[in-house]
Amino acid sequence: MAPIKDKFTIHSKAVVCQDVELKGDITIGSGTIVHPKATIFAIAGPIVIGTGCIIEEAVIIVNRKKEVMRIGDENLFEIGSRVECPSIGDFNTIGTRARVHHTLRMTSYCVIGAGCLVVPAEEESLEEYTVIYGPSAERRIWSGRGKIQELDLRRKHAEYLRDMLPKFNRLREDKGLK
Amino acid sequence: MTLPSVLYHCTCSNAYSATNAPPPAHLPSSSYAFHPLSTLFFCEECDLVRCNRCVAVEVSGYYCPNCLFEVPSASVRAEKNRCARNCFQCPHCSNTLSVVGSDPPPNPNPRAPPNVNSSGDSPFFLFCNYCRWDSVEAGMTFEKPTGLAHQLQKNEDLAPETLEFDRLKDHFEPLLRASLHSSSSPAHPVTSTPMNAITAAANSALNRDIPGLRRKGRGEKHNLKDEWGVYRARIDSANSGVDAEGEVDFLRDCEDVNEIAGLEQRWGSSWAHSIKANDLEPLRVPLHSKQSKRCPECRHILIKPEQKSQSVRYKIKLMAANYLPLIEIMLAQPPAQMPTALQQRTAKGRPGAAQGAGAGASGNVTTVGAGADELGAGLLVSGRTYQFQLAFTNPLYDPIQVRLSVQRAQPTGFTLPTAGTGTSTKPARAPFAISLPTTPFPISAYAEAWEYDDDDEEMFMDDEELEDIIAGREVGAAGGMGALRGGRPGGAGGSEKGNVGVLERKANVTKVGGEVVLGKDALGEIKFNMLVSYTYRSDDPQSNADDGSSAANTNKTGTGEMKTFSFYSVVYLGTVGPRGATR
Repeated sequence: MAPIKDKFTIHSKAVVCQDVELKGDITIGSGTIVHPKATIFAIAGPIVIGTGCIIEEAVIIVNRKKEVMRIGDENLFEIGSRVECPSIGDFNTIGTRARVHHTLRMTSYCVIGAGCLVVPAEEESLEEYTVIYGPSAERRIWSGRGKIQELDLRRKHAEYLRDMLPKFNRLREDKGLK
Repeated sequence: MTLPSVLYHCTCSNAYSATNAPPPAHLPSSSYAFHPLSTLFFCEECDLVRCNRCVAVEVSGYYCPNCLFEVPSASVRAEKNRCARNCFQCPHCSNTLSVVGSDPPPNPNPRAPPNVNSSGDSPFFLFCNYCRWDSVEAGMTFEKPTGLAHQLQKNEDLAPETLEFDRLKDHFEPLLRASLHSSSSPAHPVTSTPMNAITAAANSALNRDIPGLRRKGRGEKHNLKDEWGVYRARIDSANSGVDAEGEVDFLRDCEDVNEIAGLEQRWGSSWAHSIKANDLEPLRVPLHSKQSKRCPECRHILIKPEQKSQSVRYKIKLMAANYLPLIEIMLAQPPAQMPTALQQRTAKGRPGAAQGAGAGASGNVTTVGAGADELGAGLLVSGRTYQFQLAFTNPLYDPIQVRLSVQRAQPTGFTLPTAGTGTSTKPARAPFAISLPTTPFPISAYAEAWEYDDDDEEMFMDDEELEDIIAGREVGAAGGMGALRGGRPGGAGGSEKGNVGVLERKANVTKVGGEVVLGKDALGEIKFNMLVSYTYRSDDPQSNADDGSSAANTNKTGTGEMKTFSFYSVVYLGTVGPRGATR
């Protein structure tokens, strides 16, 4: 296998800390926040992350497929989660230490609960508003009530981090260069 | 496989036996008599260990585990043991629910920030942050975000099962009062005290006329029945209640298992509830209680939590771990080349065991490599000799002298075995032999870490003890067992003699070695009862001088008072697997 060629495209308004491991062809959109110690691996195909996402500490995002891994807007990846989905829509939450395999595609407004292991044997696309929770990864469909309030909270969360993170962490230098 | 462990005996299990000795370790009843040290209490008045099984438990306060509100015991019953404030459980995942407002109307411009009111908009509903259930699904919304339980109270009070229960209570109220009254009157014969309200109620229910059954023996009980009257249910349960046909239809059309509420989800509400998952209702959070425990004999409090529900501290806490030495056991790795001579030497004098050891030694050559794995899995091999280490930790501020002995098959109370090795003589069941150091060994006092001197392992070793140890070495050598190695760390010599004896002394921890010789036909769990008696200098001679306990005996020597406390423990070493598995 040919060595992975690094190519980072980071929007000037994104906040990407210095202590972040990036590999391969990665595009990070405006307003997205990547905490220190996060890992983004574009092993085979590139990874494109949209705007307003929050990627917390020790999150691992891996693309094992040739095609582009697209992550939409305003997704929240909580601490220590590991995501290999080939596509993720908007406004999803992946809980602390949750693991999602590459056989699952996520649409929008989905929630993977803390510590859930989602390993479908076959390719599967999560319906919108699906909630996966509990130790045995039970599923429910969320009514969507309260989503505007949550969206508002998510934006405030990102705004706060955009203010606070640069005060206590070094940011990547190569931001917006390529 | 469980690791080797030491459990402590509580004398409550032999309340009806003559001696204080526990049942032999191989009996099933043994597991009820022994407890981990961390769960035991110690009554200073009785000078005895108390376990959770014998203490008297009383509730010292109720509180809600969610909002930590202390509920006065008077209102606990009125609130039906559940929080009457804003605490609810999700009916799906039993997580706690939070009150949220409704979303504002969607803004036509999706990029503009939504105008969210920080205090939320009416109507409010309950929302589960974990599985995203909300109470709108169950048709519950609220005008105000506070006092939700109050708003739901009406609903709950008008539920048919609540009404029925209240009616039942009203019906039995006079009965309860009457039976209380009659049982409290001294003239009443004692034999009828079991006839309490519940048995009475059960009786009347059993004597009810059942169509199709012969009315037999009804005449005798007739007067009882008349006295209490017949209870008529508010609703005829045969004709109303659960809509069975509707449920069958629902089940027939059901495609997803998740549409049906699980048993654990329905368990909290009444049995007449619908089986549809959508109909599940939030439950108020059940209250918790703080309990205090008393000694069953002297009624002194052993443990008592602080009243405040936020506090996790205790006002009184008499744990056995603060009085008895902590014993930890480690099974030593068998040496790669098990010296055959050692085995035969240790097995000398006991023909049955000698055979076993011999067989083990011959089989040993082939299975040496597997030894480590077996030990890791807690599996012992019959016919082998294992060395183990007991680490004693002294919690007291005084140095103690500890004497160990293995309980005989026929327990003889607390007469300490004086000579020889503690050989387990359970002929039918236990073809293994235990050797433990028989001479008393010292453990230094507990002190803060910085108070220990470097040379303190010599501090409590006076000449007398040294002589004991030398004597013990001689006895051990003569008997072929119980060989005592030097009591100081670094005394590596004498490993050829086995490591039965004091191995290491460090701060308030003393490690002693023991040895178990497994017979050829040893099978199952290898465990034995060990009597531990320790002697310490009592600070206050008066408090314990006149207790009638057999476990403690005092003898005045010199200035201070030496006290001896004895307790039994069971030592579990491991399990011998079936012979076929190890070959």
